[in-house]
Amino acid sequence: MLAYVIRRVLTAIPTILLLIVACFFLMHYAPGGPFTSERTLPPQVLANIEARYGLDQPLWKQLWDYLYNIVVHFDFGPSFKFKDRDVNDIIAQGFPISLTYGSLSFLVATVVGIGLGIAAAIRHNSWIDYFAVGLGIAAQALPNFIMGPILILTFTLWLGWLPGGGWNGGQWPYLIMPVIALATSYMGSIARITRSSMLEVLNSNFIRTARAKGLPTRTVIWRHAMKPTLLPVVSYLGPVFVYVLTGSVFVDIYFSTGGLGQAYVGSALSRDYAVLLGVTILYGVLTVLVNLLTDLAYAWFDPKIRY
Amino acid sequence: MNRFIRNSVAGLLSSTMITGAAFAAGTHPETGEALADDQTFTYRILDEHSSVDPQVVEDVSGAEIVRDLFEGLMNQDEDGNLVPGVATGYTVDDSKKVYTFTLRDNAKWSNGDPVTAGDFVFAWKRAVDPALSSPYAWFMELMSIENASAIIAGEKPVDDLGVKAIDDTTLEVTLSAPLPYFPQMTTHSTTFPAPQKVIAEFGDEWTKPGNIVSNGAYVLTEHLPQERSVRERNEMYWDNDNTIIDKVVALVINDENVALTRYLAGELDRTEVPAGQFPRLQEEHPDEAISFPRLCNYYYTFNVSDSGPEEFKDPKVRQALSLAVDRDIITKNIKAGGEPPAYTFVPEATAGFTVPVVEMASMSQAERDELAKELLAEAGFGADNPLTFSMVYNTSEAHKKVAVALSQMWKQKLGANVELANMEWKVFLEERGNQNFDLARGAWCGDYNEASTFLDLLQSDSGYNDGKYNNARVDELLAEAKTSDDPAPLYTEVERIIAQETPVIPIYHYAGVYMMDSDVGNWPVKNVEQNWYSKNLYKIAE
Amino acid sequence: MLGKSQKAAHLAEEITDYTAVQGRSLWQDARMRFVRNKAAMASVFILLLIVLFTIIGPYFAVWSNEEIDWNVMGDVRGMGMPSMETGHYFGVDDLGRDLYSRVIQATTTSLLVGLIGAATALIVGTCYGITAGYFGGRTDGAMMRFVDILLAIPTTLIIILLLVVAGRSFFTLFIALGAVGWLTMSRIVRGQTLALKNREFIEAARAAGVSEFTIMYRHILPNLLGVVIVYASLLVPEMILTESFISFLGLGISEPYTSLGRLIAEGAGTMGYGTLWQLMFPLTFYVAIIITMFFIGDGLRDALDPKDR
Repeated sequence: MLAYVIRRVLTAIPTILLLIVACFFLMHYAPGGPFTSERTLPPQVLANIEARYGLDQPLWKQLWDYLYNIVVHFDFGPSFKFKDRDVNDIIAQGFPISLTYGSLSFLVATVVGIGLGIAAAIRHNSWIDYFAVGLGIAAQALPNFIMGPILILTFTLWLGWLPGGGWNGGQWPYLIMPVIALATSYMGSIARITRSSMLEVLNSNFIRTARAKGLPTRTVIWRHAMKPTLLPVVSYLGPVFVYVLTGSVFVDIYFSTGGLGQAYVGSALSRDYAVLLGVTILYGVLTVLVNLLTDLAYAWFDPKIRY
Repeated sequence: MNRFIRNSVAGLLSSTMITGAAFAAGTHPETGEALADDQTFTYRILDEHSSVDPQVVEDVSGAEIVRDLFEGLMNQDEDGNLVPGVATGYTVDDSKKVYTFTLRDNAKWSNGDPVTAGDFVFAWKRAVDPALSSPYAWFMELMSIENASAIIAGEKPVDDLGVKAIDDTTLEVTLSAPLPYFPQMTTHSTTFPAPQKVIAEFGDEWTKPGNIVSNGAYVLTEHLPQERSVRERNEMYWDNDNTIIDKVVALVINDENVALTRYLAGELDRTEVPAGQFPRLQEEHPDEAISFPRLCNYYYTFNVSDSGPEEFKDPKVRQALSLAVDRDIITKNIKAGGEPPAYTFVPEATAGFTVPVVEMASMSQAERDELAKELLAEAGFGADNPLTFSMVYNTSEAHKKVAVALSQMWKQKLGANVELANMEWKVFLEERGNQNFDLARGAWCGDYNEASTFLDLLQSDSGYNDGKYNNARVDELLAEAKTSDDPAPLYTEVERIIAQETPVIPIYHYAGVYMMDSDVGNWPVKNVEQNWYSKNLYKIAE
Repeated sequence: MLGKSQKAAHLAEEITDYTAVQGRSLWQDARMRFVRNKAAMASVFILLLIVLFTIIGPYFAVWSNEEIDWNVMGDVRGMGMPSMETGHYFGVDDLGRDLYSRVIQATTTSLLVGLIGAATALIVGTCYGITAGYFGGRTDGAMMRFVDILLAIPTTLIIILLLVVAGRSFFTLFIALGAVGWLTMSRIVRGQTLALKNREFIEAARAAGVSEFTIMYRHILPNLLGVVIVYASLLVPEMILTESFISFLGLGISEPYTSLGRLIAEGAGTMGYGTLWQLMFPLTFYVAIIITMFFIGDGLRDALDPKDR
């Protein structure tokens, strides 16, 4: 196991490197640069700016310098759009915010989603099943861009209970709406996958055997059915965890949370190369790490899985 | 003497120099209105500002913040006229190329240091320095400061810039050519002073709250990117006694509908009105919905370059399309925010610009449609040979509405087949800049309050002329206007030619359409450039 | 005696029954089970009704999907509400265009986008995931690291580049949707395959000399289908919404054509302004599609479960 983990961590390095290279070239071949603007800059001014950021160098040299600065100085470069800040600043400021509301949402979505899914499967075709299914559908039917405005209209304008946006160091009144909005969008899917997986497991031979042996239902479910049920759920949760941790662009846009989701999409649209690459690397590292964790979790959920 | 400064600076000196400390009782010294206890002004900005470094900032919301934090030689008053800033006045020599500004001796930085002519020299050299590579370096070129272009091109050292400090309170600027509106340009953020010592001490970090030292009425105290920035009263500011607003908060809210909701919930004092919502809001909140003309235009440009469609080479086709556009429908039904319909390229609100009599403007829409059909038939298009082209715009709800309405007008009135294509902003700019379109959306806001800032877009070698319109007579007239004492007739003639040849279809001119809390006093609605200063605002007690 | 012969007759019946069951393939079996599932059949019926509506609906439309009702456009809130008299059965959108015609056109587009997008993701993701999971080891490592990289590359970039390389068309839209959707699917399939390939029946098949491909196709795939189909039915709404983002970047559908995702987004923006029908009509169709997908997915899962005989 340990050898496997070490091997995976080591393969992460070329993976991330490949990611950087791929993203770097894709980015430079996308039409429009960071300084393409409605006010076309005079060639001389543009040349000075490009020289300052090293964009006049050949691509391979730019890539090399970029990698060199990361490895040697842990410097991810300056932002081309937000000139008072560099990428390290932007990530240091945005990531904790996304991490806070993201992990809270993840927790809520997972606990509620799995709970609903299991309850629905155990009491298949009962009112709790219908309730869970209904809630799952409702959560899915209200995408973020409806949830955001509805929440703000309701809690800020009509009831006046919660501030309409902002972060304020993550005080709880500012956290409630972002967490609800983000959690509901995944809750429905998690409940759905859990329910169907549980139904399948409950139908399988070993559970029937366990029941036939006369084990109490509770024991059968917790001892035997739980682990195989959660296997596909964990596969789904892996990517979701990464999405949620790096923030949601919708949450950032509607609630002005200042998280990384906005920085990520915004940097792609404004071709803010260094910010885009920096956040992508963070994203990549998290993806690789979380996928390693899910793979380890597989082995825990199903001891027969070996790598 | 010159066309830009109609009110002499000296005359204005007295009106703004009211002695301070008059509102201890909580009433406004001039109007006598009761002032609110909490003098905080909170407004919405669409997007995070690019920078608060005066020489680096390049976006509107950043410039608004910088105007509060720093003060240049001259300011604008509520009507857009020049009033003294750090400088109390200026003189021009006979060659009209050497300006001498006299600086007030009581101006201070927020750390107590005096503001000197040297701070301006430092800042202006900084603006053209290739090492800083300011995106607004071109503004110094536009100001015609001696050697600016050569320094930007790296051909001359920075110290050759035509600006020097005679003593601490005297600044001398040498221009390469006479420029009548030069003093107006000193209200632009690029020309604001910069604190040399602080920049030397903190380097790139100098604009962070805590490090930043500024000479305006406010200092930056808090900045949470993508969320908010807060600026608070600068006690060291020379006119601090007359400043009423204590604190200004700019909240970043990307979605305009959410911003409006938060405004209605009382979280904001000012926000933009989404397109089409103005009539309803005005009905429900008559004191709060305001609209006033702005110095921007909205148009569609034909691609008349070689890569453009053959059809658009015929002025009759272009004119027909322009005639068939019912501007009233767009301004009244889609935008509905009091935008004036446009029949000329230059907005009517522009200083010193006389709107020429354009034939189209005086016709009824039915007459225009009739003429459009005739012209198109003359050009050889009709039911059996419909005009077919595509139009591009950048993705946005408001642009989409205008584009759809235009395409429907052309389809229904002229039987044209119009294909609509939206594009992501940077792709759009790239495609438009490379003449990869038939008909493309365009909009322009004046860099300064003068017609040439718009008409230069149609000069044949302008970098902004995306449609590649080329008319020798227009170029000639525009060149002549640069140095003319009375360019208004020249501009009028250019507009006449444009109306005839129709290289662009002007649609409407912008209006500032806001929800403004009725307790905000003195918003400069008459300043068409919307150069507003928080220090001139106040909050009325409710 | 009598009792005994009855028993024997029963037994005989059971045996004949048994042989009959033997003769049915997995698919026939599944179809029967699916047809017996009331909720699933009702959903299929509703979905067919929606499809039927998109076909027949246009014949009842007074306005086309692009025509602007110039009389209404200035006062959509006051005059643009749903009404039989004006011919705007669902009201008009913010520009004064008939929402009835637009919803029909949008539903057609979104159903196509959702189903084809999800199907592309399903096919690509399943093939990829099974291969990686079944062969395991280095193959799995390399294939999954590739997925990791693709998951981390910003979608925005890929779509913008796709627009430049392939141009705007309905076909590229599906490529883009497929490119976005298959990654998570492949991870789920691979995880399940890892668990399945060590089961006794697979080992038995292997011992019996069944070829690798046949094992994957005949033994692993059927056991995966439950989870895969449920996830695919989740993908349909996701695809419908992703389309509106792709269209924002200029790759998808362009005006005057529209989609449910975009109509909902437009309606959501103006929901506080007294024109709620602009949100409710497209949302109703969207929710109807989600619900039917839910029960059809569920029904398929039950029907295709090989254990459930």
